[in-house]
Amino acid sequence: MERFGFLARFARNRGALAGALMILVVALAALVAPLAFPIDPLRIVGAPELWPGEAPEFPLGTDSLGRDILAMIVHGARATLLIGLFASAVATLIGVSAGAIAGYFGGWIDETMMRVAELFQTIPNLIFVLTIVMILGSTLTNIVIAIGIVSWTSIARLTRAEFLALRDREFVQACRAMGMSNLRIIVGEILPNALPPVIVLSSLVVAGAVLFESAVSFLGLGDPNVASWGRLIGDGRQLIRSSWYISAIPGVAVMVTVLCLNLIGDGLNDALNPKLRDR
Amino acid sequence: MAAPLEVRDLRTTLFTRRGEMPAVDGLSLTVGAGETVALVGESGCGKSLSALSIMRLLPDPPARIVGGSVLLNGRDLVTLSEEAMLKIRGQEIGMVFQDPLSSLNPVATVERQIAEVLMAHTDLSRSQARRRALELLEQVGTPDAARRLDAYPHQLSGGMCQRVMIACAIACHPSVLIADEPTTALDVTVQAQVLGLLEHLQVDSGMAMIFITHDLGVVAEIADRVVVMYAGRKVEEAPVDDLFEAPLHPYTAGLIAATPVPGAQRAQRLADIPGMVPPLNALPTGCAFAPRCKRVMDVCWKEKPELTQPAPGRMVACFAAEKDAA
Repeated sequence: MERFGFLARFARNRGALAGALMILVVALAALVAPLAFPIDPLRIVGAPELWPGEAPEFPLGTDSLGRDILAMIVHGARATLLIGLFASAVATLIGVSAGAIAGYFGGWIDETMMRVAELFQTIPNLIFVLTIVMILGSTLTNIVIAIGIVSWTSIARLTRAEFLALRDREFVQACRAMGMSNLRIIVGEILPNALPPVIVLSSLVVAGAVLFESAVSFLGLGDPNVASWGRLIGDGRQLIRSSWYISAIPGVAVMVTVLCLNLIGDGLNDALNPKLRDR
Repeated sequence: MAAPLEVRDLRTTLFTRRGEMPAVDGLSLTVGAGETVALVGESGCGKSLSALSIMRLLPDPPARIVGGSVLLNGRDLVTLSEEAMLKIRGQEIGMVFQDPLSSLNPVATVERQIAEVLMAHTDLSRSQARRRALELLEQVGTPDAARRLDAYPHQLSGGMCQRVMIACAIACHPSVLIADEPTTALDVTVQAQVLGLLEHLQVDSGMAMIFITHDLGVVAEIADRVVVMYAGRKVEEAPVDDLFEAPLHPYTAGLIAATPVPGAQRAQRLADIPGMVPPLNALPTGCAFAPRCKRVMDVCWKEKPELTQPAPGRMVACFAAEKDAA
């Protein structure tokens, strides 16, 4: 019954529903990519610079080297979604742990952790990501880690605020009176109460991570073995005046995906925020 | 057999920016097996702080136990490590709080709340814990207990929530139960049910119980002995019948006079005690009750009265009562 109510509240936000359906399509594309396009999408398969519709075997045309753009887009969806999800997972993991500890224990622990978070926030995000990727090397894993390291601070602040509000509630004291350890109280009792807004923020971090990855790949620092959307945009930029579709198609893909992820975030907020529930 | 709980000269001080405040000042208290001791007093006189001190649940800073001992089955809790206290709380001392709805985790089902306590202290598996939770719910008199297991706190009534809290508190058979105003937030009829339940559980298990309340009607109902507190100190202790029959301390007399009696003439105003409990950082040098006392004497302003024992089982800290006895 509870679950059903959650879905109904989510679906009442039309934008969120559309976003979720669109992301589902992207996810499906990512899932079937190796079946639909079994050969490496980075292989040259036809004549270069075929416009979309020009050749029936390449519905979205080919790029400057003669690679199938549709195959690269579909395979790119895989890389893009994976990076988005995992980067958000890394950021949420770091952010929730740090925020929970800071908010629950307070005092000098809180002070120290929040100063560290501020330190991270003072560095411009994109430059920070690029720096980490340059140092660690351009692999998918490293890009995920870099984006996670840059994005955890906002999640940590939110989690901390929730914990600060919850830790003095009576039920927490009751738990302590029943002899539960701090770890048990943090993970088992307070976290489930603090989670809804954090989930919303995490879903928005996924969108941010997709943009970060695109920027990194556009600048040529992406994983050279992976056809990510940002890299396609970057590859096409020299031909932007003649064959603009090479950059535009992955550009639209990035835009639509990020928009849909944001819509989902809004929908989650509507569905999870008890203050908006009766609107 | 030694009493399960013996508090000796417990002192808890709040260290704040406005100075040191003696929140609990030399409290001594013994609760025998199967006995109920009521801790009575107005708001702000240190009842709850005493209970939390016994549980070692006060946040440090600002609160710190600066003296005395709390002997639970012979072990001094004041000197125990935090890890050792984790095993004691919930296992050897249970606690029930005032507002049952806010004392339960709003996002956890009844089953999970009880199971969490069981799993923190025993090696029960999830399914064993669920069965035990059901038994406990039945034991605290929950109608339709099997269905309530999967309910969330907001789906239950206040009385039901308090039953769940009590089930959590007694889940591991503690030898001492501290009930901090467990019926204050409940309807009068439900209040009677919960009091009946606590008494019943106590008879079954022989728990020692500290019952904190400001409601003398409840005290008369459930307590064996009464400890009256004022400004962090014990001012009177007596068996419950003696206390109501012949209160020795003017404060106790005032509290009893301020309790409405059914059938009394309506025109008759309730006798209140003028003034308020003094703030802990501005306690008078003499007796803390002196500014509000009807029987105040010169000596009351200068010296703090010590506890004396005018009769077996009775204690009082008051110069006027000493004069009466002499």
